[in-house]
Amino acid sequence: MADSVKPDLTSLSTTAPSQAPPNPVPETSPSQSLPIRDSNSAKQPAQSEKGSSKPKDAPAASSTGGDGASDKPLTPAQLKAKAKAEKAARRAKEKADRDGGAGAAGGSAPDAGSQQSRPPNTPKKDVASGGASQKGPKGAPPRRGSGPVTQASAAEPKKKKEDKSVSVFSHLYGQQRRTTVNGAAKEVHPAVLALGLQLRDYVVCGSSARCVATLLAFKRVIESYTTPLGTSLARHLTTHLSHQISYLSTCRPLAVSQGNAIRALKLAIAGIDPSTPESSAKATLCDFIDNFIREKITVADQVIAGSAVEKIENGDVIVTFAGSNIVKQTLLQAHKEGKRFRVSIIDSRPLFEGKSLARALANAGLDVQYSLVHAISHAIKDATKVFLGAHGMTSNGRLYSRVGTALVAMSAKERAGGVEVPVIVCCETIKFSDRVALDSIVVNEIADADELVPANPPQQVTGLPDPAAFTTPPVEPKKGGKGASAAPTADTSASTRTPSPSPLANWKDTPHLQLLNIMYDVTPAEYVDMVITEMGSLPPSAVPIVHRMSTNI
Amino acid sequence: MATTTESTPKAGAKPFDIVATYNELLRSDPDLTMPIAAIEALVLLLTHSPSSTISETLDLLAQSTAHLKKAIPNPIGLSAGTDLFQRYLITTLQRPGQLGPAGDFKAIRTHLLSNGRLFIRRAKESREKIVAFGRGFIRDGCTVLTNGGSRAVASLLQKAADEEGGPSAVRFRVIYVLSSISKKTAEACGEPEGMETVRALRAKGVPVSTIPESAVAYALGKADMVIVGAEGVVENGGIVSRMGTYQIGLLAKAIGKPFYCVAESHKFVRLYPLGQYDLPIEQHVIDFKSEEDIAEQSQQPVDTGVDRPVELESVDFTPPHLISALITDSGVLTPSAVSEELIKIWF
Repeated sequence: MADSVKPDLTSLSTTAPSQAPPNPVPETSPSQSLPIRDSNSAKQPAQSEKGSSKPKDAPAASSTGGDGASDKPLTPAQLKAKAKAEKAARRAKEKADRDGGAGAAGGSAPDAGSQQSRPPNTPKKDVASGGASQKGPKGAPPRRGSGPVTQASAAEPKKKKEDKSVSVFSHLYGQQRRTTVNGAAKEVHPAVLALGLQLRDYVVCGSSARCVATLLAFKRVIESYTTPLGTSLARHLTTHLSHQISYLSTCRPLAVSQGNAIRALKLAIAGIDPSTPESSAKATLCDFIDNFIREKITVADQVIAGSAVEKIENGDVIVTFAGSNIVKQTLLQAHKEGKRFRVSIIDSRPLFEGKSLARALANAGLDVQYSLVHAISHAIKDATKVFLGAHGMTSNGRLYSRVGTALVAMSAKERAGGVEVPVIVCCETIKFSDRVALDSIVVNEIADADELVPANPPQQVTGLPDPAAFTTPPVEPKKGGKGASAAPTADTSASTRTPSPSPLANWKDTPHLQLLNIMYDVTPAEYVDMVITEMGSLPPSAVPIVHRMSTNI
Repeated sequence: MATTTESTPKAGAKPFDIVATYNELLRSDPDLTMPIAAIEALVLLLTHSPSSTISETLDLLAQSTAHLKKAIPNPIGLSAGTDLFQRYLITTLQRPGQLGPAGDFKAIRTHLLSNGRLFIRRAKESREKIVAFGRGFIRDGCTVLTNGGSRAVASLLQKAADEEGGPSAVRFRVIYVLSSISKKTAEACGEPEGMETVRALRAKGVPVSTIPESAVAYALGKADMVIVGAEGVVENGGIVSRMGTYQIGLLAKAIGKPFYCVAESHKFVRLYPLGQYDLPIEQHVIDFKSEEDIAEQSQQPVDTGVDRPVELESVDFTPPHLISALITDSGVLTPSAVSEELIKIWF
């Protein structure tokens, strides 16, 4: 293996004999640089993703590129010093922000350079202090432990930059999604870089699809991996993978299934005997990944569909929510077996996952009715069964799935004046989690609220045109003036937005308006009658037992 | 094991008939439950079969199980036994060592058969265990409402009444719900199911009142608890039981009385009904007829009479949320623990 060491790796190992020091910096960089639009810049004028990312990221990209190039020759000590300087600059900027609008012009101008050299970093703490900054003018500057204060400040009427995070969910805003690949650690494999973007843009969507895609990407990572000198594969590959994982998690928080799969993979890596030659170890791992996908997802899906089909009878009216792959498989198979039933798909904004399901089922020749979640009471009236997909199942038997699922399940179980409808969840055991969810607030995922904006209702005349729509554009440059770097983007975004004046287009500048785009909700175990897994049909209460068994074996 | 010797010569003469054996076993021993009879029939089958390989044995087992299930109108209780036995065989065969796949098949076979018998004996003993667990539920001065002809319930109540004069003697009363349907159908017996238990309890000095099913809601106010038996305990912790149990469960829940189910753990079935109409058996309980249909039917009465000589004892499904606890030989379980027990057996 020593012969095949790549040039860049050798250079790395010669400049950094102990491997450890250069690692911390790139390792932290994905999480640090993740909110390219951090809490402060997000509060600045509305940026459409398309409009803003180009002008703003272009300099950032070039400078980080330069940064990456200059990274290599730096010694660990220099790196440390650099990191320290950046931290100091960040602090100074925060302080300047806190001082309010007047000081900001002077304070942030010199910072702009350093800010560009490495995108600003806003871990959770900064979000909190950013929120606290709004209290600044009032003369109460709490710096630490300002979590609850942030929430209170959201309601405060008089302040310049309104906190746009919904206070109950404020703890979830820490994980802002990465918008580009720049700033990613250099260890991140191109396949993983691409996957990250696909995950972020919902190209790869759905718990199992994300899990499979991740595993396949990791397979490519393993294939192109060479163990550096002085370490063993079992020890180094895990850290190498964790770079990929932390990059992925900045694109979109990891799904339960992804987490479980990664855990299994890491366990498999750790179980490799250090004396195994690298090529065979890699082959073993690739086999492991292939088997894992086959056992836990492909075949599991077939088994689940097979047993779920048995629950479908002639004359059934089956309600399903959004687009679950396993539910689709079940319904198609039942149709293929000649069962005669109707499907009613409930869908919701903004992802409209049910549309492709409706199309697929209709193409196969099933009777499909498609409606949005607002029509749930109507759709549930003649339902006989509800089939749901899952994002995860928690240890207290609750179903963690696309937001709206709980509503459908509840409507089915508490149908007014009717027999209750059985709610059946199809879920692979890889989606079982050892976590406990009591509500959908503590653990959840917040997607970009801008996703809620663009879908425009057809132009209606329901009242006089809103004069505010004409007054808002001039406000933007004024606000943008605070952050010098963001000013041009504000103009571009304003100009791109004007042709389609969605009433919510300028929501970030509209006071007292907050948008919440939550991804998941939690369905109580009482609303779930049956969980169909590849290990059989279970009541929700058996989830922890099965999870324990499937992880132990 | 008198039955074993009894049926051996018969089977030697002609090919072994699993259905007949099963029925005979059930008839010969009134204490035998359906799953145990099924297991016993399968053990007998293996004794007679000349199979010499593992896969042959398993094949034979699967075949005759399917045959047996098809021949019996209500295979729920039975399938608990056959599934359990099959599972037991497979795990035994998979175990490494002398009895594993590499070992001598003859040794495996004798081991299987002897263990199969042990299994049956243990299952029969389970009723005593249930009594030990369940006796604490019946206290001095309480009134128990029960129904059907469950042997587990009967033995529990009789044991509780047994210890006359002892320190643990329990003075309790029983309200026995006698089914009106079975009075019509089971004319052969001449009396509703459960009368035997009523007599036995009265003989032991327990005051018993018998009520029709229509009086359950009326009588529940006087009862302290409901104890019922079960034909099968399904995966979500619900029970499949004699028709009428579901409504008792609903009423008990509404009135707030505890509803206990007594069942041996070999009655746990891998079955997951979603409701009353999702059971794997066909019941013609609800039969819509107009005047026309009745007239039509009366024209060919011979046909129908031949078609169903044995009226199937109809069953219903009591969902888990109505059940307070299941008193089994592996302890007193909540309904949700049933699936855990089942998973333990199966994986």
